[in-house]
Amino acid sequence: MSALLRHARIWLASIRYSLVRAMMFRGDFLMWALVEFFWMGANVLLVSVIYDHTDSIAGWSKYEMLLLVGTTQLIQRLLMAFFWSNLFELGRNVRSGHFDFFLAQPGSPLFMVSTRKFDLDGLVNVPVALAIVVYAAHQLQLSPGVGQIAAYGLFVVCGLVIHYSLLLAIISLVFWLQSAKGIEGGYFGLTEFSRMPREALRGASAVLFVYLLPVIVVSNVPARVLVHGFDATQAAWLLGVTAFWLVVAVVIFHAGLKRYASASS
Amino acid sequence: MSALAKYRHVFLTGLQGALVYRWNFAIRAGFSLLHLVYVFILWGAAYSGKTEIGGFSLSATLTYFVLLLVLQYFLSPANDDYEISEEIRNGLINQFLTKPINYFGYRLSLYFSTRLVTGGLSLLPVLAALPLLGPYLTFPGPEHAALYAIAIPALACSALIQFTIAYCFGLLTFWFLEIQSFIILSLAFETVLGGQIFPLDLMPAWFYELSRWLPYYYQMYFPAALLTGRITDVNTALQGLAIQLGWVLLLLTLATVLWRRGLRRHTAVGG
Repeated sequence: MSALLRHARIWLASIRYSLVRAMMFRGDFLMWALVEFFWMGANVLLVSVIYDHTDSIAGWSKYEMLLLVGTTQLIQRLLMAFFWSNLFELGRNVRSGHFDFFLAQPGSPLFMVSTRKFDLDGLVNVPVALAIVVYAAHQLQLSPGVGQIAAYGLFVVCGLVIHYSLLLAIISLVFWLQSAKGIEGGYFGLTEFSRMPREALRGASAVLFVYLLPVIVVSNVPARVLVHGFDATQAAWLLGVTAFWLVVAVVIFHAGLKRYASASS
Repeated sequence: MSALAKYRHVFLTGLQGALVYRWNFAIRAGFSLLHLVYVFILWGAAYSGKTEIGGFSLSATLTYFVLLLVLQYFLSPANDDYEISEEIRNGLINQFLTKPINYFGYRLSLYFSTRLVTGGLSLLPVLAALPLLGPYLTFPGPEHAALYAIAIPALACSALIQFTIAYCFGLLTFWFLEIQSFIILSLAFETVLGGQIFPLDLMPAWFYELSRWLPYYYQMYFPAALLTGRITDVNTALQGLAIQLGWVLLLLTLATVLWRRGLRRHTAVGG
């Protein structure tokens, strides 16, 4: 318990430091917030353009699709706020030897690596992503109950853990490769599928992206709970997948950690 | 040493440097196949029950995205902007100020060598997936030879536009400590206005017409549209090439101005 509290205090201190830093470089903060806002706009635009030419994608209407995209954006903004910079820099730090610094810090290496930075620009776009979800739900004339909203919140947190795990597993490959250059592209390649309705996948692609990889379940389950209501099987599936991928990522990271031999003199 | 020989050596050194990271490039290219799978599934579902969207068949649209992916690896700068930025910040450009080598030429040679390696490696997964992709690929027939002829200079201009934009962003380091947000914001514009998320011709006519006057259109969409039959009118193609050449000249001028003005602000320290 005391270890948990100690780590929570370290995380809070890191967040406080990052906030002060963001306010010191306000121009940079605003620019990054704008960047993330624009990327979200690009995703919404894609939905809009496709539905200008068609009424349905795999049985999903325009606003159901928007709800799905909004949910994916919500999860990704949270990832950007809490973990993205940290894991992205992990790849660079292992190569440069700066990773030594994290091993010397007073906490678990994985925790220190994952929480050193907090990006306020990611967090300020969370309300924008939420607004997309609320707007889509309004257009669909949904009126979810408190239980549905609570389940949606829980599933979004599961989604955050899954995205974190995927990114950690991919970036940890840097322990085996000479450089992390380009490998984060794997994360983006995989999570693109989160914007896809499950019904669009058939055959081998369904087996791979729906059952073997968590890239469909991560967004489809939360979106469905708002559209179709709570489904215990889907909830159990998402919770199981979340736990499984977190364990896989942690195991890969620690296997890589054993190979780490520093790079500096 | 002749002027060209200098840059040939830079090019060859760049090739060796890029090949060190061949596995990273290969993995990245492999991951990009995931993007193609996503595109095939998404657009396949959008075309369900339809023979065409925006006047183009499913095969035409999928061919566009496959070609776009290959062009991206051959033409899009990988880290040139960041590397230029770092060379300015660390003072590494100082050596170019006292030696008879042009910094733009030096970076352009490195850009060509890296693109050759990444482009070549990107072909491997595409070739491996060719048995699956093949039935969907459709290109304009020999009657459109003029379009192919226009596409060759268009590809060269696309490379110059892409590199020069990255070069200019790198030079912003003379004025700003941090340029990453500028680069990512520009990337977002490029992605949408360069037709990487969806073919620009699916946008409303006014938007498409506006995008034709912006440099992003000529970074990727224009040559891809020529090679996949989305632009079939020769006059439109020639007009596009003229605008593209205009952007090349404009960007080269901007790069020269930024370099000269930036150097006035630059302070070289150390021996």
